[in-house]
Amino acid sequence: MSSPAPTTSVTRPAAWELPALVPDEDARTRRLVDYVLLRATGVVLSVLVLGHFAVTHFVTDVADDNSAFVARRLSSALWVTWDSAMLAAALAHGAIGVRLALADYASGRRRRVLHRTVVALTTVLFVLGAIAIARVAHV
Amino acid sequence: MNAAQAVFLVGFVLVLGAVGAFSVVVARSAARGGRAAGLGLRGGSTEHSRGGRAAFLTHRLTGFGIFAFLCLHIVDVGLYSVSRRLYDDVQPIYGSWPLRIFECGLLFAILFHTGNGLRLIAVDVARLSPRWTAGLLRAVVTVAAVGGVAGSALILSPLFG
Repeated sequence: MSSPAPTTSVTRPAAWELPALVPDEDARTRRLVDYVLLRATGVVLSVLVLGHFAVTHFVTDVADDNSAFVARRLSSALWVTWDSAMLAAALAHGAIGVRLALADYASGRRRRVLHRTVVALTTVLFVLGAIAIARVAHV
Repeated sequence: MNAAQAVFLVGFVLVLGAVGAFSVVVARSAARGGRAAGLGLRGGSTEHSRGGRAAFLTHRLTGFGIFAFLCLHIVDVGLYSVSRRLYDDVQPIYGSWPLRIFECGLLFAILFHTGNGLRLIAVDVARLSPRWTAGLLRAVVTVAAVGGVAGSALILSPLFG
């Protein structure tokens, strides 16, 4: 039997052979998705959040942001859309950003637990916020 | 202060505590020379200057602070769907002087985080030179400072009649 010729084709090494610091393909994809989502939501929020702050603090003083103000504002389709988009974008942006930061300070099991906590927290808040917008706007 | 506002204050103190704890973690890691890698598409952070590093840390801290407050804010505004009365019980606390001062800090944080975030996108997309990158940072800090002071004057003005 002749010994097998040295192979020149490059095959993807198994996951356990990868050095810990070289991300595999899935990790690179997640990184790219995070990168694009973080920046896309960021651009959207730069308008939505500054507009929200201006309306609730400068156009109307914060002392006058009572339930009548909320009801009046959310009777317009523009503001229902505005607040819904802001809720989703802010939570997605926050979840990705915090998860990214945590990766620098925690590793292993602790990081996984923290990541899941962030995802669970933002999911609960999204549901709460969406229910609130829907009920106020009588959607 | 009513009972609903007292519960809000507990949540508010938790938010401040979370921000404080996170700041300690970030500061300790930074003091040890910890990794401050940004999520650059081409890997690594886009700038390693002193200003860039300070901007990175400030971006991280303001981002966490805004997110922590957002968590509380969604709950307190969400009270409206429980009852309008409950919302109106809690809401006046935002007009008190301690909360108004907090809102000024929040405005500075939002302005810097927004400006710096848009700057990082510009740096990445247009592959700006270090000189432009640093110049943009100065512009962001100036806009945040001027806008923050002007906005704070408006937010605090009801306290002075």
